Amino acid sequence: MGAKITEIEYVFGRNKISNEDLKKEFPNYDFVNFENKVGIRFRYNVDSNQTGLDLAIEACNKLFLRVDKNNIDYILYCTQSPEYLLPTTACILQNRLGLRKNIGAFDFNLGCSGYTYGLSLAKSLINSTQAKNVLLVTAETYSKYLHPSDRSNRAIFGDAASCTLITSHNVEYLHEFSFGTDGAGYDKLIIKNGGSKNMCHPDPVELQYGTDNIYTDNHLYMNGPEVFNFTSQVIPGFTKDILALNAANVADVDQFIFHQANAFMLNFMRKRIKVDEKRFYVDLMDGGNTVSCTIPIALKNYSQNISLTQIQKIVLVGFGVGLSWCGGMVTIDKKL
Amino acid sequence: MKKEEFLISLREELEFDTVLTQERIIKEIEEWDSMSVMILIAFVSDNFNVTLTGEEIKKMTTFQSLIEKIGLEKFN
Repeated sequence: MGAKITEIEYVFGRNKISNEDLKKEFPNYDFVNFENKVGIRFRYNVDSNQTGLDLAIEACNKLFLRVDKNNIDYILYCTQSPEYLLPTTACILQNRLGLRKNIGAFDFNLGCSGYTYGLSLAKSLINSTQAKNVLLVTAETYSKYLHPSDRSNRAIFGDAASCTLITSHNVEYLHEFSFGTDGAGYDKLIIKNGGSKNMCHPDPVELQYGTDNIYTDNHLYMNGPEVFNFTSQVIPGFTKDILALNAANVADVDQFIFHQANAFMLNFMRKRIKVDEKRFYVDLMDGGNTVSCTIPIALKNYSQNISLTQIQKIVLVGFGVGLSWCGGMVTIDKKL
Repeated sequence: MKKEEFLISLREELEFDTVLTQERIIKEIEEWDSMSVMILIAFVSDNFNVTLTGEEIKKMTTFQSLIEKIGLEKFN
């Protein structure tokens, strides 16, 4: 018995924003250099009346063009952009998609480590015979949390939603997963206000970070250098742990798909792990860093190039806000 | 690595037009930005096995102070 990724769909926010568009707002910044280093040309933001749930519904409806929605018996909804503080967005999604009522559904709050966590949860639900067809949804609209003058984060983050169907399968295609948590770094990527500790402030103080980036405690804050240091120190070793857990070597893996955070950082890690460029996915040119959506987007796009008879072993690694990380090995044998 | 070589290689890595000298004040360089910080951290980590934090970089003044932070003994 086992579990398998059978389908993936995704959508971006409605508004495509190019580096030229951003240049008009931030004329002194070198976006050509940004594109070369960070590897992002376009990101998509939602309209003010569009939410993560709207994106999720759009992505799921694309999936239901080829999948019978009545087979879904569990929704795992990964988001840090929930529709409300309560109820859980997954309940609303069940209703809006017209899914059965005798199914499980809940949200889990993780960022860039969320998709791999979701795969591991889906595998557990299936292998413990609690579910047969799990719909794993990731939906994120960080653009709503960014200060208009926060150039760095506005250039990096994009809005998107993805849905992945994980079904029971006679052979295990979701192999071993591993996890990591370090809450000491909780404030390296944070929105301080709006939770139960601090209310959203009606007139928040404007703060500055890095080079001329403005934010307030109502907005998202990221300590870029510290997140970079965490990632570069922890993730290469963690990747080795995942390989060991799966009794595999770097050479056994057809493709490494990491959370697409930023091209420079990805290549830095690639060299540390000693993987050639061909087997290490780096493509966030069109879409940017879409948090928990980057891995399913990359996995779907990567799978379009594999032939029907190919079986591919892929290592997936997510890392970020928390600080939290999770990764594992999966097998795919078709275009997703 | 010699200090001069370090500054030449770092400049290439950063793809800066401006020439880096030990006396130059890092933050006064117009091209210096948050991406430069990331590139600097990566470059120093690769070449000296030293991890600079964002806070440490914030406190640096000249490239000489960067070299001191990495450790004078690492330069010949």
